[in-house]
Amino acid sequence: MSHEQPLVGQELDPGLTRQARELILNLSDNLNRATASRRGFLKGSSAFVLGLFLLSGKTAQAAGATELTAKVADLETFQGGDATPHLFIQIQPDETIQIVCHLSEMGQQVWTAVAQVLIDELDAPWENVRIEQAEGHPRFGNQNTDGSRSIRYNFERLRWMGAAMRAMLEEAAAQTWKVPKKECKGALGHVTHVPSGKKLSYGALAERAREMKVPPRKAITLKKREEWRQINKPVKSLTTPSIIRGEGEFGQDVRVEGMVYAVIARPPQLFGKIKSVDDKRALEVPGVIRTVRLPDLEPPAAFKPLGGVAVIAKDTWAAIKGREALEITWEDGPNANYDSAAFEKTLMEEVRKPGTTRLKRGDVNAALDAATKRVKADYYMPHQAHSAMEPPAVMARWDGDRVTCRGCSQAPQSARRNVASVCGIPEDNVTLEVTWLGGGFGRKSKGDHFAEAALIAREVGAPVKVVWTREDATRHSYYHTVSAQHLEGALDDKGKCTAFLHRTAFPTIAATFTYGQNEPRWGDLRQGATDTPFAVANMQVESGKADAHVRIGWMRSVANIYHAFAVQSFASELAHAAGRDPLEFLLELIGPPRLFDPNKEGAEYDNYGSPMEDYPIDTGRLAGVVKEAAKLAGWGRTLPEGHGLGVAVHRSFVSYVATVIEVAVDADGKLTIPGVWSAIDAGTVVNTNHVKAQVEGGTIFGLSNALYGEITAENGAIVQSNFPDWRVMRMNEAPRAMEVSIIPSTAPPGGVGEPPTPPAAPALTNAIFAATGIRIRRLPVFDASRRDRLVKKEQNR
Amino acid sequence: MKRRTILSSLVVFAVISALAVAGCDKQKNKQTTSQDAPLAAVNGMRSLQDFSSIKDDRERALAIYQEIDAVLSHPRCANCHPAGDTPYQGNIPKPHQPLVVRGEDNFGAPGMRCGTCHGEANFENVPGKPSWHLAPREMAWEGKTPGEICAQIKDPERNGGKTLAQLTEHMQHDALVSYGWEPPEHLEPVPGSQALFGQLFQAWVDAGAPCPPAEKTR
Amino acid sequence: MSITLKINGKEHTVDASPDTPLLWVLRDHLGLTGTKFGCGVAQCGACTVHVDGNTRRACVAPISGLEGKEIVTIEGVEGPEADAVREAWKEIDVPQCGYCQAGQIMSAIKLLEKKRDPSDEDIDLGMSGNICRCGTYMRIRKAIKQAAGDLG
Repeated sequence: MSHEQPLVGQELDPGLTRQARELILNLSDNLNRATASRRGFLKGSSAFVLGLFLLSGKTAQAAGATELTAKVADLETFQGGDATPHLFIQIQPDETIQIVCHLSEMGQQVWTAVAQVLIDELDAPWENVRIEQAEGHPRFGNQNTDGSRSIRYNFERLRWMGAAMRAMLEEAAAQTWKVPKKECKGALGHVTHVPSGKKLSYGALAERAREMKVPPRKAITLKKREEWRQINKPVKSLTTPSIIRGEGEFGQDVRVEGMVYAVIARPPQLFGKIKSVDDKRALEVPGVIRTVRLPDLEPPAAFKPLGGVAVIAKDTWAAIKGREALEITWEDGPNANYDSAAFEKTLMEEVRKPGTTRLKRGDVNAALDAATKRVKADYYMPHQAHSAMEPPAVMARWDGDRVTCRGCSQAPQSARRNVASVCGIPEDNVTLEVTWLGGGFGRKSKGDHFAEAALIAREVGAPVKVVWTREDATRHSYYHTVSAQHLEGALDDKGKCTAFLHRTAFPTIAATFTYGQNEPRWGDLRQGATDTPFAVANMQVESGKADAHVRIGWMRSVANIYHAFAVQSFASELAHAAGRDPLEFLLELIGPPRLFDPNKEGAEYDNYGSPMEDYPIDTGRLAGVVKEAAKLAGWGRTLPEGHGLGVAVHRSFVSYVATVIEVAVDADGKLTIPGVWSAIDAGTVVNTNHVKAQVEGGTIFGLSNALYGEITAENGAIVQSNFPDWRVMRMNEAPRAMEVSIIPSTAPPGGVGEPPTPPAAPALTNAIFAATGIRIRRLPVFDASRRDRLVKKEQNR
Repeated sequence: MKRRTILSSLVVFAVISALAVAGCDKQKNKQTTSQDAPLAAVNGMRSLQDFSSIKDDRERALAIYQEIDAVLSHPRCANCHPAGDTPYQGNIPKPHQPLVVRGEDNFGAPGMRCGTCHGEANFENVPGKPSWHLAPREMAWEGKTPGEICAQIKDPERNGGKTLAQLTEHMQHDALVSYGWEPPEHLEPVPGSQALFGQLFQAWVDAGAPCPPAEKTR
Repeated sequence: MSITLKINGKEHTVDASPDTPLLWVLRDHLGLTGTKFGCGVAQCGACTVHVDGNTRRACVAPISGLEGKEIVTIEGVEGPEADAVREAWKEIDVPQCGYCQAGQIMSAIKLLEKKRDPSDEDIDLGMSGNICRCGTYMRIRKAIKQAAGDLG
């Protein structure tokens, strides 16, 4: 099926406005493209696709709309975007429910979750669902697939969409039978006339339903919780059946007619430039076609290409060999002095002196002075790389002054804007197609790879796929920042914490967008620093300064990682100093159930973009996950020699996760992880099995970085390049078992993808302390000095 | 169980050795021996002539053995003669990443064989030679003194049932042994050349193959 | 230069330099993109295929050495172990992003062919070469055991 045949073209109402026609054509075009290049769901039936969008141009006309956008009825008011059903759902005569997923599928099973919510409210049989990926376009609403917000922002929106469509089908049935609508009920793919028992299938009603007006919210009834068939159930993944056969298209897998391949030699240092390049030997490599020089990068880095030289070849291997043969002399640029070892010292000095106060309660200094016992500790965590298994890749193809990019993006609208801006063309000239993502973790929110592909393809005059190698992905990431923290606590004579000082310093993400920015923003601090809801009378959060020398970016749970590491480690250190059980001490720090609002204590807090009324910081829920995880782990049981339990809890992305880890350290200092127990309170969850999978995966992500993750720079260039000098957790190092408990909740849905990561590192190091007495304050646990063995050496290095 | 493993290892090793020898048939006529013209010193390995000043046969052989030991104890060889089940890698030996083990036949674990990654020749940074595998457990050199390794390689119980002549042949022509001089670029080769090494080995055998004292460390 | 390779039972003649790793011939020349590029240095296992009945990392297997060998990829692998593994993978919903899973599955199949009832340690050793950044290890372990049970 080619995209020259629009799904609905022949059926468009001649009275439609030009914009309306374009929108429908674009949308159907997009659907066609997605269909053609995906798993071929429609292959067998493509000739019969009638494209019965459940939206009639007449509806928009009747409403007097000149733009066919969100202004239908009153379904436009959701955080994720408008909720008119035509955007995402199409019912076909053969009962197929065609769903467009506007969020990027990267393993969090958003395809399945989106379908679950829509299908549940539409009340159609699950086996009729077919799902496709939307292109990046503002008409879909917010498509940023990061910030753990897919369900948080879209749950209600999708419910209303599905329910609106069900209402339209019911209305169509009522008109067909000439009976009152309230006597018609849609369920499991049929509308039934309740008094008579007559039935019509959704497919049979689809054509007529097109004529129905999209109803206003007050005319729609959402299902009650107890009526849910899909939501809050362990529905099987829609992607797994393809994955296990090697099907499905990732960014790296894109292939189009006449496509050539590009691999880029980028400057080793950020803002480094090319002094000279000799590509003679590269051009001699069999298969190499030519080279393309990219523009030098000027600050700020944002999502612009890093610069360098691309080698274009007939296959990836030839491009890689061609790149090896390039002779480039680089000009180092302003970051050539960046050295991780020296920077670590600078950062540690920064947090040991007073910083800027960002939250203040009581008088921390007076309380520290009055303490029976005063405890101090410094923590350090190096840069990390996201290291999704799929390195970034994008295909770009120009047609005149228009470009189509197809690749892996977590933020396709941002990537589209970026391509337009870097190429100097209107945004409307960019078509941004999204593949599956072989992992994202925040790296693929940044569209630099899209801009590279577009620039190179324009120069080459043929479709080009830019392939990032693992070395590229490791050396040219948007790194998780390096951080240092200084904590102080006061204990009274009963071993109760009376003061808590948290000072944090790190190069901020903001520096990537505002050159020279050297102070943490509220956006960084609200992630685990200014929102720590401890019941401590005297509390102070301070920030220090730090310059950025590499591109700093967000990585799965972002600043929560290092803040939770320090705060939750320190909670355990205070418990030890007080001679008390860490679990009991932690629960006391959390205190009685109450709501905490950092805005009321001088901090700017945006609650991850969710309203405080719907998603308060609730210490009852925070304590609840701690108790549940402890129960699962059997906290307090007698452990074998060399074993230890550690606990940590953290609220992020408006969800609560507590994790208990058991470690075993043998006589040689070899560490294993016999068990992990986590509890998550994410409010209402859509897919119980996949939420557990996210808790498992998010925990492994946190453990991997805590145990092995260290990205360092020398002379401004990243030292690590590939596995295993950049090391990630493997099967033999992973926990042998993990159990996850989801706290039943009717609260609105919170984030799921990121919240499991922050507690992993402190739960691990707290467990190591319990097992060995070794307190790890500098991550990773197995840095170069430890060589995979936990042997007691100097403390507090 | 352990005994069975050793026996099967011996069988496998014997078969491999036989194959390796068979593979060298063509070269047999020009086999390097100490009778051939002495080769010059190369790549940090002394030549036979360098030892001619040592008059005492045994003393001279022991001095030559130091050159042999420099090869055997070099990471290129010793990394895959571990005491445990896991080989090492790198110029400064570190446990092999990913985790690999000898398995029942010294060729790896089910699903993760040596040949899963190591082909018949080096490829980029990944070393390769035909039948890439770990030395059987009884041929472990890790943590041993030169004298201990020396005694071990002469002991048919621990050298795959070889006579000294067969051992010499192995050192001179075995494909896996030859890897020591032909690693990928980022890895340091063992000293000398296989030809010179073979000549020294033959000279050492001809002189009665004396071993340094077991307790003497490197 | 053209080389003929037997892949999934079918012969393909490709025009590529003989040092080209099988991975790029599969992906770029033949469109068999189920075999993934993760590291290019035999460290991550995403490119695992079967060559003459054993697992092989396609990223470090130059095609010059593969003429006349039986190459099987995720698209063509079949048999009782493959069926059992795929079934268990579905049942447990092992994959997250799925990028590494073809490699995981190809390794798991060979592990089960050789070890009908793998212990935790067998799974560690057979699967340590396949990295999953999404962290599906616990589910892979469970699925391999389930597949073993189904194979009987």
